[in-house]
Amino acid sequence: MAASAPPAPPSTTRRRGVQPLRAAEGHSYLWRRLHSLSGIVPIGAFLIEHILSNFETWNGPVAYGKQVLFLNSLPLVRILEWVFIFIPLAFHAGYGVYIWLRGRSNVNVYPWAGNWGYYAQRITGLIAFAYIIQHVWRQRFTGVDLPHNPGMAFHKVQVELHNPWMLAIYVIAMIATCWHFAYGIWLFAAKWGITPGDRARKRFGYICAVVGTGLCIMGLASIYAVVWKYPNAPVNALPDQHSSLTLPASTSLATS
Amino acid sequence: MGTATLEVPVTQKTATSARRIKVEIRRQASPDAKATTETFEIPYRPNMNITSLLGEIALNPVDVSGRETTPVTYDSNCLEEICGSCAMLIDGKAMMACSALVDRLLGDKPDKTITLAPLSKFPVVRDLAVDRSVLFENLKAVKAWVPIDGSYDLGAGPRQQPQIQEQRYPLSNCISCTICMEVCPQFNDATGFVGAATIAQAKLFNMDPAGSVLKEERLRALAGDGGIQECGFAQNCVQACPKQLPLTEAISDMGRDVFVQQVKDFFTR
Ligand code: SF4
Ligand code: FES
Repeated sequence: MAASAPPAPPSTTRRRGVQPLRAAEGHSYLWRRLHSLSGIVPIGAFLIEHILSNFETWNGPVAYGKQVLFLNSLPLVRILEWVFIFIPLAFHAGYGVYIWLRGRSNVNVYPWAGNWGYYAQRITGLIAFAYIIQHVWRQRFTGVDLPHNPGMAFHKVQVELHNPWMLAIYVIAMIATCWHFAYGIWLFAAKWGITPGDRARKRFGYICAVVGTGLCIMGLASIYAVVWKYPNAPVNALPDQHSSLTLPASTSLATS
Repeated sequence: MGTATLEVPVTQKTATSARRIKVEIRRQASPDAKATTETFEIPYRPNMNITSLLGEIALNPVDVSGRETTPVTYDSNCLEEICGSCAMLIDGKAMMACSALVDRLLGDKPDKTITLAPLSKFPVVRDLAVDRSVLFENLKAVKAWVPIDGSYDLGAGPRQQPQIQEQRYPLSNCISCTICMEVCPQFNDATGFVGAATIAQAKLFNMDPAGSVLKEERLRALAGDGGIQECGFAQNCVQACPKQLPLTEAISDMGRDVFVQQVKDFFTR
């Protein structure tokens, strides 16, 4: 029945359509795998640290101030901050946008669970990226310098969350970030061949869901503590802490 | 195939005795021609599939307005979902035309119009026929074969254990239909992603006791640009594959093997 014209003979010009595999050529493998890995360590590890530290707000402004003070007294904290947080985050976000731009999401045509996950991973990544830019700018690099004044951390966040729009942004970003991380661990295990079997992937999916939900609840509880549990926190919860004691100066893990 | 011989099933509730199937087809006379849409109405018969529907049009290529046109070009051969040639977009989704049943597509809406279009990610040759040779190029790029040629008789191949056979069999079912590539959000002009089928075939031949001699070359090939790293694990491939290949498992397994090979090469090459 209906025969088709044979495919156009190979011409000297670039072939039409999607290009074939460039076998063993190029460096995209390294960058793509680094992107995948950086999402787990150091960024994922930092996210866990950050949410655990923030959860100290549950114990009040003094406890939170002490946590910020502790983090800022880690050796080489400024170097740690750049090497393990800012640079990997910038790479992960930048390369992530590049990945997003080159994908052609088709969840409208094929509305399947995994395809939704693919789409959501890009949307939540973009939300987290936009949020983190303003968060780092407003909480780490402008306003009260928290590395010098760890006792003022609670109050600074409280003032920030006093704005209902900002509160909504924090809640949305918390959920998006935890989703992105939890699904990211699942994707990591699948792509690196840690969970090849269908059942293994499903089982690990439940574990990731528990981790993500747990982190998200802790994060939201911290927001609750700052806004409602300890209203009218003192501007400085650790008035005895002189800035000279909080060496090394001018960086903070907990507020970045 | 006169209308007089048509048997109308009792379940049919249309007012006229001769029920007709409406089908809208995206057509394109040549690779560079502008795409147009033509609508046809075909007398209904129970248990039709899309290839038999296209056959009806070929018998009488007249569109719904009575205008004479050319028979619709499409690829097909086996008519039993084994040659892999008849993939197209049916109601917008990639499917095999010969195993897409009209009754099922219409469901409980007998007046629905079925739409047919060529696969969207491959260059159109004409109408519904597309050039899918990129898959062939990809299979060559990963050496998806068992090297058995020599200048002398190589003798019998190594024995293949049934356990290995069992794992390989589902992967050997691939019919090169390219549906897994069509539905993949990462398979596009920007990434030049190799697609699930080629990765699965690389695994199939890596697991062959004789084919495994090329294992390292296949794994290196898959780390090239457009290689396995481009997979975003949307898992559409495994959902859409008409032959139910365990594609996500293959990608995961090969992801590990490719990584191990890269680390090995980094330290030893
Ligand atoms: S893996 Fe499945 S969907 Fe992909 S080409 Fe083979 S048979 Fe078709
Ligand atoms: S005609 Fe062979 S698969 Fe459809």
